[in-house]
Amino acid sequence: MLNEIQLWAIVNGTIVTLEIAIVAIIFGAIFGVVVALGRLSKSKVANTLSWFYIWFFRGTPMLLQLFIIYYAIPIIYLDATGSTFTVNPMIAAFVAFSLNATAYLAEIIRAAIESIDGGQMEASKALGMSYRQAMTKIIIPQTYKRLVAPMGNELIMLLKDTSLVSTIALFDLLRTTKTMASATGSWIYYIYAAAIYLFLTTIIQVVFDKMEKKLGIYER
Amino acid sequence: MSMVKLVNIRKSFGDLEVLKGVNLEVSQGEVVCIIGASGSGKSTLLRCLNQLERISDGEIYIEDVLSDKRANNKDLMKIDPVTVQSLCADLGMVFQSFNLFPHLTVIDNVTIAPLIVKKIDKKIAETRALDLLSMVGLSEKKDEYPSRLSGGQQQRVAIARALAMDPKIMMFDEPTSALDPELVGEVLATMRQLAEKGMTMLIVTHEIGFAREVADRVIFMDAGVICEEGSPEEVLLNPKEERTKSFLNKIL
Ligand SMILES: Nc1ncnc2c1ncn2[C@@H]1O[C@H](COP(=O)(O)OP(=O)(O)OP(=O)(O)O)[C@@H](O)[C@H]1O
Ligand SMILES: [Mg+2]
Repeated sequence: MLNEIQLWAIVNGTIVTLEIAIVAIIFGAIFGVVVALGRLSKSKVANTLSWFYIWFFRGTPMLLQLFIIYYAIPIIYLDATGSTFTVNPMIAAFVAFSLNATAYLAEIIRAAIESIDGGQMEASKALGMSYRQAMTKIIIPQTYKRLVAPMGNELIMLLKDTSLVSTIALFDLLRTTKTMASATGSWIYYIYAAAIYLFLTTIIQVVFDKMEKKLGIYER
Repeated sequence: MSMVKLVNIRKSFGDLEVLKGVNLEVSQGEVVCIIGASGSGKSTLLRCLNQLERISDGEIYIEDVLSDKRANNKDLMKIDPVTVQSLCADLGMVFQSFNLFPHLTVIDNVTIAPLIVKKIDKKIAETRALDLLSMVGLSEKKDEYPSRLSGGQQQRVAIARALAMDPKIMMFDEPTSALDPELVGEVLATMRQLAEKGMTMLIVTHEIGFAREVADRVIFMDAGVICEEGSPEEVLLNPKEERTKSFLNKIL
C-alpha cells in the first residue's frame, strides 16, 4: 500500500493535472469565443488571423507547442536580447494548454453559433439591436446548451493530455505514479493512476450532463 | 406626411433582379396589404425597408426623412448611421416564423429590446410589456418559454415584442402562413385591433378575406414590380390586370 509520502506525491500530481486542465478550459472558452467571432467576422483581417491561429494550433502536436513555449522562447529571447530568461514550467503549461484549447473550442463555438437559426439575428436587428447586442444577448446564450457536451469532451481530453507536461520537468499524476512504479518495481501504481483518471473523468461526465439538462429548460 | 416612401427601388441578388423599380407611398394610419405569387419580391420589399437587405438602387424615406439612397449597390450619400438606426427603429416587423427568442420567457422577449436598445427602466419596461401582453390576450403566459406556446400565441407575443419598441409602422410578412388554420383567426384579430387603433401597417398576406376587410389599399406584386394597386374592391373584386385575375383565380 501507499505510504504517506507517496500519498501526498500522488495528491500533488493530481492537483497539477487538474490545475492545468481547468485553467486551460476556462481561458480556452473565453479566448475561444473571441477567435470564433473572428472566424465569423466580415473583417478580412480578423477572419484571416483567426483562421491562421486555428490552423497552427490544430495542425501541430501539442507536445511541440509545449516545447516552443518552454524551450524555444527562452532561446529566441537570448538570441534577440543577449540576456537569459527562464519560463516557469507551470506557467508554460498553463499558456500552452490554454492556447491549444482556444483553437479547439473556437471551432466548437463557431459551429454552435452557426447552428442558431438565422431568423434570430434578423429579429434582433429588426428590433434595433446592434450586432454586438444581438450576439451577446440573443445568439451566444442560445449556444450554451449545445456547448456543454463538447466542452465536457474537451475537458476530458485536456485532463488526459496534461500527462505531456512530464517532458517539461513537471510532476503530474502520470509521471508521479510512473516514478513510483519504476522505483519499486510494482505495477500497482499504474492501477492507482487509472483509478484516479477514471474518477475525475466520471465526475466531469456527470457534472456536464447535469449542466446540459439544466441549461435546456426552455426547450420544453 | 407620408410614413414610408419608396422611390424607384431596385434590388438584385447577384444576377437575379428581384425588385425592378418599385414606387410606393404609405400615409399615416393607412393599412396596405401586399399580395402576389411566391418569389414576386414581397418579403424582399419589407426587408429593404428596415435594411435587413440593402437596396441596389433607389431612395427610401421614412417619415419624410431619407434613410437610404443608393445606385448600383453603392451609397450615394453618407447618411448618419444613428439616424438610420432611429428611422429603422420606427419600423416594427413580424415574421412568418415568429422568431421569438427561445431562451427568454414571454415577458423577457417583450422587454429585452426596450431594455438594451432604448435603455429604459426595467420597471417601466415590464409594466408596458404587461399592457401589451394583455392587449394580445396573453398576460397569464408571461413567465412561459415560447416553446410551450401554440403558434398563434407565439405570433401574438411577437406582435407585442415589436410593439414594445413603439414603432410608427408595423410590417407583417405572412404572419399567419406558418399557422394551423384554427389558429389564424386569433392573430388576425390582434392585427385588426391594431388597425382600428390607427397603426400604419404594411401587410404581406395570402388571407384575401382579411385584406378585403382591413386594407385601405391592396397592392398586387408580380415579378418585382407593383402590377396593380387600389382599394380592396378594385383590386380584389374587379381587377383590371390579367396577371391579377389569374393570381386571384389560383388562390381563391
Ligand atoms: N438572400 C437572398 N439571396 C438570393 N436570392 C434571394 C435572397 N432572398 C430572396 N431571394 C430571391 O428573391 C426572390 C424574391 O424573394 P422574396 O422572398 O422576396 O419573395 P416573396 O414574394 O416574399 O415570396 P414568398 O411568397 O414565397 O414568400 C426569390 O426568387 C428568392 O429566391
Ligand atoms: Mg416572402
